[in-house]
Amino acid sequence: MKIMRHNLAIRFTHWVTALSILVLFFSGFGQMPIYKRYYVDQLPGLGWSSDFLITLHIHYWAAAMLIFVVFYYAAYLSITKKWDIIPKKGDLRESMQIFAAILGLAEEPDSDKYLAEQRLAFVVTALSILVLIVTGIIKVYKNLPGNYLPPEVVFWTAQIHNLFTVILLLTIIAHLGAFLIKANRPLVASMFTGWISADYVRQRHGKWWSKLNLDLTDEQIDIPLSASAEENREVI
Amino acid sequence: MEITRRSFLKRTALSGVAAAAVLTKTNQVMAQSAADSEWATVINVDKCDGCTHLDTPLCTLACRSKNEHNFPVPEKPIVDYWPQKKHEDWSEQKNLTNRLTPYNWTYVQNLVVEYNGQKKKVHLPRRCMHCENPPCSTLCPFGVNDKTPAGPVVIDSQGCFGGAKCRDVCPWHIPQRQAGVGLYRKVAPDYVGGGVMYKCDMCYDLLESGREPACVSACPRGAITFGPKEEMLRYARQWVQKNNGHIYGDTENGGTLTYYISTVSFDAINKAIMSQDMDQKPGKIHMSTDIKNPLDEPAGIAQGMVIAPLAGLMAAGLSAYQIMKGDDSDENNAS
Repeated sequence: MKIMRHNLAIRFTHWVTALSILVLFFSGFGQMPIYKRYYVDQLPGLGWSSDFLITLHIHYWAAAMLIFVVFYYAAYLSITKKWDIIPKKGDLRESMQIFAAILGLAEEPDSDKYLAEQRLAFVVTALSILVLIVTGIIKVYKNLPGNYLPPEVVFWTAQIHNLFTVILLLTIIAHLGAFLIKANRPLVASMFTGWISADYVRQRHGKWWSKLNLDLTDEQIDIPLSASAEENREVI
Repeated sequence: MEITRRSFLKRTALSGVAAAAVLTKTNQVMAQSAADSEWATVINVDKCDGCTHLDTPLCTLACRSKNEHNFPVPEKPIVDYWPQKKHEDWSEQKNLTNRLTPYNWTYVQNLVVEYNGQKKKVHLPRRCMHCENPPCSTLCPFGVNDKTPAGPVVIDSQGCFGGAKCRDVCPWHIPQRQAGVGLYRKVAPDYVGGGVMYKCDMCYDLLESGREPACVSACPRGAITFGPKEEMLRYARQWVQKNNGHIYGDTENGGTLTYYISTVSFDAINKAIMSQDMDQKPGKIHMSTDIKNPLDEPAGIAQGMVIAPLAGLMAAGLSAYQIMKGDDSDENNAS
């Protein structure tokens, strides 16, 4: 028995965002003079990495891709009104409880489609991306011939852009770090295929499970999702 | 040119000062509004004799003594730029006057140029061109290299980390680095940063107090003229027309605020520079006439970026429509 967790629109959003951010990180760090100093441009195929103008072009293109997908996702959310990922009241406390549960100190609360900590992480990540886009647009404007911005604006735009790059990097490290926790691992496959086992949903996402309102027998639920789903069920 | 002119008008309009300030002659006090409009210099190559009867040209000397208090005082020992086994230290060569260094922000290049079958002595004062759209400033990762409304491009030595990106992206590789000074020493001196970048700032402080740059006042032959940009440009072009001469700096890198005028072509001058005086180290400057602004192409991409949000909205509309219509086969909750 399997359940659709991430439809095509969400998977598209996730992976286009991931790809563009990955490229933005590499090309963005390339705006600082480090690839030459640290011999990154000596690695096979990366000779171009220390050329500031090449990495700048790449940064612009990847930024266009990110802006595209942000608008796509924002419009998608507003049209479909699927607000599952938006934080709710009490999410902070519930997140603490989930962390305590991971350490075996408490019982994990029944979750909705997303865990409280996922909803909070989403907001931090999304806000960082928005700040980076806004400051990035200011920087692009400044780079256009004939445009002038006061030194204070240029300085603070650069500092905020750099600071939120670090914040976004930390949220992404935390996002990937979440998969060190076994209970989260079935979610990895679901971001590729969209599907997750019904058993996982019933065990961990009780609120979502009841909303789905599926009239299923235990046998139906236990039908494996796929070969790998067997492992997933063991984890749960 | 169109953009340059527009930007100039915008800036002068912003500062509320008419561009038509009086063209100043040497030692003449400028109007109080000096730093509010965009300023430029014309360097008449025909007039400059390189002060060859002296040890050091007077413009170079004046620049040094005026800026001495801004020169770096590195703390030693200076660490290498790990993992590289080098660092840029000019503090033992402060007296060099024949190239740009952190201690020498302008120099005169003496050349013998072959032009129209004749050998001609040419002397070129060289320093920052103060570009209209300076890549060194716009691409500074820390936003501490400012294009000021008055025209000068000014590096904030307090905020500079010394990565030398500005030197890499400058078509003439003007800014020069001194290790062992600046902010990077307080962060992680072994691993990031490399000192502070130094270059001509058009004597920005003098401009602010209504005076002209030190090199202009110091030139005994009046080879450097200083004044409002539009006026300087007009003067340079008229001179070129009258003398069947050449101009350098008006269109290079998308336009600068330094206009060299000469009866010897700059292609010939550049050829002489390349063959006689380039030693492949930073601080000696070419005079290539084929210099496009490296930011022109990204500007094209930036205009294309405007399409991205619209495309995102349209694609979302399409997705949402399909989902709501029930076409999206994997949207169903269970299977």
